[in-house]
Amino acid sequence: MKKIVLMIALGLSFAFAGNVAPANNALYQKECASCHFGYQPALLNRASWEKVMGGLSDHFGTDASLGKVESEQILDYLVRNARSGKMSANNSTMQITKSPYFTKEHRKIPAKLVEQKEVGSLSNCLACHTTADKGNYSKHAIVIPNYGRWE
Amino acid sequence: MKKIVCFILLALTLSHAQEFNAPMKTYMESLRAEAKAKDPSFSGFDAARGEALFNGVHVGKKGKEISCTTCHATNLKKGGQNVNTNKPITALAPSVNPTRLTDVAEVEKWLRRNFNDVFAREGVALEKGDVLTYIMNQ
Repeated sequence: MKKIVLMIALGLSFAFAGNVAPANNALYQKECASCHFGYQPALLNRASWEKVMGGLSDHFGTDASLGKVESEQILDYLVRNARSGKMSANNSTMQITKSPYFTKEHRKIPAKLVEQKEVGSLSNCLACHTTADKGNYSKHAIVIPNYGRWE
Repeated sequence: MKKIVCFILLALTLSHAQEFNAPMKTYMESLRAEAKAKDPSFSGFDAARGEALFNGVHVGKKGKEISCTTCHATNLKKGGQNVNTNKPITALAPSVNPTRLTDVAEVEKWLRRNFNDVFAREGVALEKGDVLTYIMNQ
């Protein structure tokens, strides 16, 4: 019995329960979240973050270059808090949206809800996950613009 | 009488014009020196030239047409929106957003990034000075 409980607990801890540690680093917020949502470091693994930070002068087609000091500090914060869990498994690209788990979780959402101007793309977490900025991606906190709750 | 009118006009102009803080003044001086070194006939930065640069459409880093106004909008007293992410951008005009153009490192960083994004190259001193002069007057 004890063994089963332990196994369940272990299983749960490996699952993406909808919560990640908030992105509470002031420099990261200032430099990265000025243009886009401040994705929590736990949403990607170490290899992904190293790729992101190694190519900021061509960051998805735009120049997001930083000074050396800021770049090193942010990389350090990201790799220290990167995770190799369910969310970042089998995804060493720079895009959280390329994660197999992410794709599975978003597969039923009609394209028109994603493409509408209030959302724009699946990388705009906060457009529907109303508590995403706190690291809470719980199903209960989803409100899709012009649609409503998604449960 | 003429003198008084002149004085009033001057006072009004000054009260509306924004002024760079000390570090930004030093930065503008360095841009001025650079522009002068490159072109001895350089006689000062010009807001109208800056406005033309800001509103002009160019083939940017992504190989597509883009302008500064694509994200910042044409009315700098209002905010804009990042064309790639939809994230709002606060107003650039110092008259409504006094934090703008106050931090040299921030200004240099964004000029580098945004000239690359819009012009697919870095700006030269003349262009940077003109654009900053235009924004400062907003």
